[in-house]
Amino acid sequence: MTLPATLLPVAVLLPLGVALWLLAIAHWLPPRIADWTAVAVAAAVALLCAWLARAGLTGPVVQWFGDWTPASSGRPGVVLGISFVADPASAAVAAFAALLFAAALVFAWSRFDDTRSHFQVLMLLFLAAIVGFCLTADLFNLFVWFELMSIAAFALTAYPLGKSSLEGAFNFIITNALASFWMLAGVGLLYARTGTLDMATMGRAVAQLHHDPVLLGGFCLVSVALLTKAAILPLHLWLSDAHAVAPTPVSVVFSGVMVSLGLFGLAKLVAQVFLPSAELTALVHGLLCWLGVATALIAGLMTWAQRHLKRLLAFSTIAHMGVMLIGLSAATPAGFAALLLYLFGHGLVKSVLFMVAGILLALCASADELALYRRGRTRVPAGVAMIGAALLLAGLPIGLLHGADQLITASQPSTLVRVATVLATSLTGAAVLRAAARIFLGWSGAPGAEITAPTEREHEKSQASLWLMLAPCFVLLALALLPERMLAPFLGQAAAGLFAPLHPSALQLSPPALPHESALEQFTPLILAAVLVGAALARRRSTAPLARALVGIETGAFRVLQYVHSGLVADYVAWMVVGLAVFGIAVGESR
Amino acid sequence: MSGSFGSLSFGILPWLIAAWLFAVGLYGIVSSRNYVHLIGCLAVCQSATYVLLLAIGLHRGAGPPIFYDHPPGTRAVDPVVQALVLTDIVVGAAVTALLLAIALQVQKRRGSVDPQALRPLRPTQ
Amino acid sequence: MSPRWRLLLLTLALLALAPGLWRVARAMPPFGSPTSLYGPAINQLAPAARHVSNMVAAVNFDFRGFDTLGEETMLLCAVTGAVVLLRGSRGEGGRDRAGRLPGRTVAPRADATVLVCRLSAALVLLFGVYVVLHGTVTPGGGFQGGVIAASSFLLLYLGEGYDVWRRLMRGPLLQLLEAGGALAFVVAAAVPLIRAHPALTNLLPLGQFRSLYSGGLVLVVNDAVGLSVTGSFGMLLLEFLEETRSSASDPVPDEEDT
Repeated sequence: MTLPATLLPVAVLLPLGVALWLLAIAHWLPPRIADWTAVAVAAAVALLCAWLARAGLTGPVVQWFGDWTPASSGRPGVVLGISFVADPASAAVAAFAALLFAAALVFAWSRFDDTRSHFQVLMLLFLAAIVGFCLTADLFNLFVWFELMSIAAFALTAYPLGKSSLEGAFNFIITNALASFWMLAGVGLLYARTGTLDMATMGRAVAQLHHDPVLLGGFCLVSVALLTKAAILPLHLWLSDAHAVAPTPVSVVFSGVMVSLGLFGLAKLVAQVFLPSAELTALVHGLLCWLGVATALIAGLMTWAQRHLKRLLAFSTIAHMGVMLIGLSAATPAGFAALLLYLFGHGLVKSVLFMVAGILLALCASADELALYRRGRTRVPAGVAMIGAALLLAGLPIGLLHGADQLITASQPSTLVRVATVLATSLTGAAVLRAAARIFLGWSGAPGAEITAPTEREHEKSQASLWLMLAPCFVLLALALLPERMLAPFLGQAAAGLFAPLHPSALQLSPPALPHESALEQFTPLILAAVLVGAALARRRSTAPLARALVGIETGAFRVLQYVHSGLVADYVAWMVVGLAVFGIAVGESR
Repeated sequence: MSGSFGSLSFGILPWLIAAWLFAVGLYGIVSSRNYVHLIGCLAVCQSATYVLLLAIGLHRGAGPPIFYDHPPGTRAVDPVVQALVLTDIVVGAAVTALLLAIALQVQKRRGSVDPQALRPLRPTQ
Repeated sequence: MSPRWRLLLLTLALLALAPGLWRVARAMPPFGSPTSLYGPAINQLAPAARHVSNMVAAVNFDFRGFDTLGEETMLLCAVTGAVVLLRGSRGEGGRDRAGRLPGRTVAPRADATVLVCRLSAALVLLFGVYVVLHGTVTPGGGFQGGVIAASSFLLLYLGEGYDVWRRLMRGPLLQLLEAGGALAFVVAAAVPLIRAHPALTNLLPLGQFRSLYSGGLVLVVNDAVGLSVTGSFGMLLLEFLEETRSSASDPVPDEEDT
């Protein structure tokens, strides 16, 4: 084996082993050791995975555990073991996740001292699960890491033990546990039909199938499960609760990477397993694109109507997942390159914003946009970070996120997609800008629909110095400002590698080319966002009858949306089944 | 093979039972008025996956995949799905433990475990 | 949504799913004669290749050992999470007395109960260890045996009462057992890497087919899982039973929100 192939499982075994070691001696461990160790391990994993991504560019990096290679079964088409494959895209996503973990752990420095390093243990297990999820090439193994990821996330959400975090975690667990049962059932169906769990072998078996209901059923169940994790309409309801109530460092990794991993996993499965089937490809192009558009629009509107900062950011994450799903639904290397770039750009910007929300929670004891009015005026660095990130979110034409936005619209050339991405970008960006203007600049205006949104009085304690919280924030912001050109050559190859991870040289792809856009087109989302923010901040209490009628219509419309996002787990489960039914109907139509 | 009833084969019963179990569990979750009952309903949903996986691996007339009393080479059911079900059971135990711990804490803090009365963030008006 | 609307929505969704479900059920491979070659291949290969007679153990700890690594850490992760949630503000201290409901008389434990519990606790623990150790040979293995062994702790609680049980069950030691067992799994998986073999490669002597010491690495990993599961469930029982103790010193922190 080559050195990269030998070191491949270390990316999982290292965080796993260190987490277990910390847990074993937690009782006797002096304080600070766990903090240092966890940050060091996350950084090491990031470096290792980045190196693996580089190595993956030249040839496949594969390891068959227990030496059970496909040849060892002596039967064609029978794969006995499990393998990890570090194709450039997967390894890069794992490296990115580890980077965000390192930043979040620095941000969380000494915040959880009273709990005997359990926080660091859970975070490292979480990281190990994410890396395993990225690198594995076996469908059931993917499920196992998916589930470990979920369970670590469940525990971390409930960690503050507040009323809200407990109930948010409860909703999170029930919905995601149901999704994982669906995933398991889907894996079962695919195994029953193809007789294998290895993704590459399964893809070859799928190519032989035509009009097979079992395959279609397996696809539906697995996709709905992954889309639940990725919070796509109508499976998204859990996210706004979980992200709003989780401790801030945890929200950072949730929004930054965990949610988008659902889409990345689905992209990988589509490329390697489902694409050979013509019916499934049609479903991916049609149904997933529509769901993406709907998610981007609805969640964009919901973002606008929030006042609790973390909940606002959570809805903005959902809207961006919708945009990413549009890129996925192209199911081409160009679409996947856009997806990858969006994953990085969005993860960085959203992490920065959650960190600012966390700083406000720690310093001003609130995350409510209206309660925080003018209270951030002396916190200049936090304000700079928030406004900078908000501008990037609103489509400022520099940085990774903007490049990704352009690539997505280029991969799906339709007016509807264009409109949906522009609206999602400007609505979410405008909502964050509005909050930043109220908190840090002291601009106001009568509150609109956001005044009826759910909120909470809460406080996060943190003994860490302000600079320890700001430093990771600014590092990530600087990374988000990197020009898209720097990543383009890598992205082209990485996206192509997703389709044939074992033969990366077979598909040499040129870097995705950015479409030429006029200055007006480039600035459309930002201008729209500025108009929205201006309207919100210039708004006065309406007295004229006509204005009051208009406001009544606006509030009524948003009230309907808020009503659906009720916070009741029973509603969420009912909507999840509706989501599954949408897939079932679409499959029935496609026959 | 299985008996048949008109054009219907009883061979599809296991799949229908799995689906039925899942639907019953969903009904329980959606109508539940108590966290602990809801957690039980989730376990019912999960048992549907046990039925599905074990039924996928059954070879009619075959023995257990343990070659202690029978020599190797005896017909045995699929050991892979059995291993998958073991994982599934561990998942169930893990999720249930977490949920019950949360239910306990919610009871302490809110004095109620009615899922239709509890919601994470409250509307302000 | 009102409960009635919610049920209506669920019913409609399930009805919409019914035709698809019916088609899938009709198209499944016939019940009782699956088409997969994976399981049969393992049944044919594993006894000779690994000298293991329990095929499920062979799949779990050798062919698909990495699944089990994830599965084991999943259990540990959930238990750690539950411990964090249950401990909450009460901390680790074990000096409190058992909880008593006011007005309920506490009957002294009968000698027969104590005797039966002590005897059966020993037997159950022994049986658990037996099931773990014979994981490669007969039905059972690390997960099942670990749960059985941990259930003997409950019999101790029943027979000896809270105070003695609390003195016997040491949280840090159980946690050491839990994490140490899982760490042994990780180390066993990683050691072959040093010699440039893939992780989890079985480099140990395989022993005699159908004997206690068979399977090489399969047995090692199986026993490590047994230790870890015993520790995990012990930890879980400890923390849940701590909830029964006197709650006077365990005030729920007041929160601001209403």
